[in-house]
Amino acid sequence: MDDAGGKLSAEERERLEVRAQEAELIRAAQAGSRAAFDALVRQYEHQVLRLALHLTGNEHEAEDIYQEAFLKAFRYLGNFRFECSFYTWIYRIVTNLCLDQMRRRKTRREDAAVVIDHSGDEIDVLASVSDNRSFSNPARELERKALGERIQAALEKLTPREKMVFELKHYQGLRLRTIGEMLNTTEETAKNTLFRATKKLRAQLAELR
Amino acid sequence: MNCEVAHERIVLAVWGELADEQVHELERHLAICPECGREREQVRALKTLTSVYAVAEPDANLVARARLKLDEALDALPAKIWLERMFARVGGGFHGLQAAPVAAALLLVLGVGGGGLGGYELAVHRALQTAPVRSVALANSAATPETNSGAKTVLPASTPEMDKVANISEVVKVPNSRMVEVRYNQMVPQQVRGSLDDPAMQRLLSLASQRAVSAGVRDNSVGLLAAECRAGRGCREPGVRNALMMALRYGPDEEVREKALQGLEPLVAEDVQVRNAILSTLMNDSDPRIRTISINVLEPVEGDTSVREVLYSISTSDENQQIRDVSRQMLNRVPEIQ
Repeated sequence: MDDAGGKLSAEERERLEVRAQEAELIRAAQAGSRAAFDALVRQYEHQVLRLALHLTGNEHEAEDIYQEAFLKAFRYLGNFRFECSFYTWIYRIVTNLCLDQMRRRKTRREDAAVVIDHSGDEIDVLASVSDNRSFSNPARELERKALGERIQAALEKLTPREKMVFELKHYQGLRLRTIGEMLNTTEETAKNTLFRATKKLRAQLAELR
Repeated sequence: MNCEVAHERIVLAVWGELADEQVHELERHLAICPECGREREQVRALKTLTSVYAVAEPDANLVARARLKLDEALDALPAKIWLERMFARVGGGFHGLQAAPVAAALLLVLGVGGGGLGGYELAVHRALQTAPVRSVALANSAATPETNSGAKTVLPASTPEMDKVANISEVVKVPNSRMVEVRYNQMVPQQVRGSLDDPAMQRLLSLASQRAVSAGVRDNSVGLLAAECRAGRGCREPGVRNALMMALRYGPDEEVREKALQGLEPLVAEDVQVRNAILSTLMNDSDPRIRTISINVLEPVEGDTSVREVLYSISTSDENQQIRDVSRQMLNRVPEIQ
C-alpha cells in the first residue's frame, strides 16, 4: 500500500493541521469553552463583516448581521456535526441573515456608492478603493465613482438570491458547489442563478461597456 | 454544441467553473462561431466592469466595535442557553445512536463489560490504597475545617482541570500568609487552596477575572493578580497579563480598571501590548481619573513615538481640561529626557 501520509505536500500537511486545530477548537467550544468560541470568532469575523458590509452597504446592518450570526453559531454549535467545513456552516448562517435583510429592505438607497457608518456619517465606498495605476487622476476617480454607483444600483435590481450568488462567486471568489451548500441548494441551481444574474447585469449595464 | 448551451458555458468558463473537457468543447465551438466569440468578450467585460465595485476590508474600529458588542451579548446570555446546548448535544448523541443501532448495541456491550471489569479493578485498587487516601483527606480537613464540612471537596492546587471549571465563586486570601483560596464550580462546587506563587492558582485567578459568579469575586481576583504584579511576582505568566489587560479594557467599574492598571504598571516598559492597552485606555476610558492614572503609568515609555502621538492628540483636542494639561506637561518633559 502507498504511504499516503508521506506523499502529502507541505502545503497539504499545513492545511490538514489547520483543519485539525480548528476541529479541536470547535469541540472545545461545543463542550462549553468560551475561549475556544472566541478564537473561532476571531478566525472568521473579518470575512463575515466583509461579506455583510459589501452586501448591505451599511455598517450598522453589517454589525447587526455579525452579532446575530455569531450568537446563532454559539447557540447552535452543538448541532454542528462536521459534515461540512465550519467555514461553510458559518457562511450559511451569514448568507441567510443577509438574504433576510435584503428581502426586508424595500427601499433602495438613493446614493448607492455611499455607506452609512457607525456615527451615521456617509462614507464613500469607492473613494476607499485606491487606484494604483500611474495614470490615476481626479477625473478618472470621479469616473470610477460614477461607475461604481451604477454597478451597485444594477446589483440592487437583482433578486436577493441572484445578488447573493453573484456576490459569493464574483466578489468573494467561492466555488459554486460551496455556494450551493451554503444556500441549501444544488450546484446546478447555483449555476443557473449565476447565469440569470449575469444576464440581468449585462442588460442593466449595457451602455457602460 | 448549440449557441444556447455555449452561452451558459461561457458564463461558467469566465468565472472558472467549467470542467476542462467542456472548456475544450467550448473552444472548438468558439473557433467557428463569431457570435459566441462576441458573447464571451461581453461577459469578460462585465466581469472586469463589476470588479470596479470592489470589496473593502472592514476597518479596525468596526471590527473592534462588533467584537465588543458580541462579547457583551454573549456575557448576557442566560444560563438557559447553556442548558439548551447541553440538551442539544445529548439529543444529538441519541440521534447518532438511533442512526447506528449496531454501534449502539456494541457500545452497550462494551460499556457493561468495561464497567464491570473497571469496577472490579477499582475495588481492588481502593482496598490497597485506603490508608494513604484517608491521610490526605485528613490533612486537607485539618487545613480547612470550615470549608470541608459540607459536600464540597478541598483539593490540592494542581488538581483542577481548567476546562472543566464552570465559574469562579469565591476568592479569599488567607490573612498574613501567601495562601489564597479559590472556590470554583464544576458539576459539584469545589475548592482549592494554594500559594499565590503556584501557576495553577494564578491560572484560576486569571480565570476568575472572566468567569467569576459575581463582580466582587472578579474584582478580588484582579486585585490579587495586580498586587502580585506590583510586587514583581507572577506577572510573567501570559494568562495573568492578559487577564489584567482584559480587566483594564472591559472592567465595568473604575475600581477594577484602576487595579488592573496598577498591576500592569511594572510591565509597561517591557511589553508593547501592555503599553498599547494602556494607550487605548487613555484614549477611550469613560472615567477621567483612570485616564489621568494612565498618563502617569505611561511615564517609563513617554519617549515612544506612539505615546507621544497620543499625548499630542489629546493635549490639543481632548474635551477634558485636566487631561489636556496633564498630557501637555508630560509632553513638555519628553525633550529633556531625549
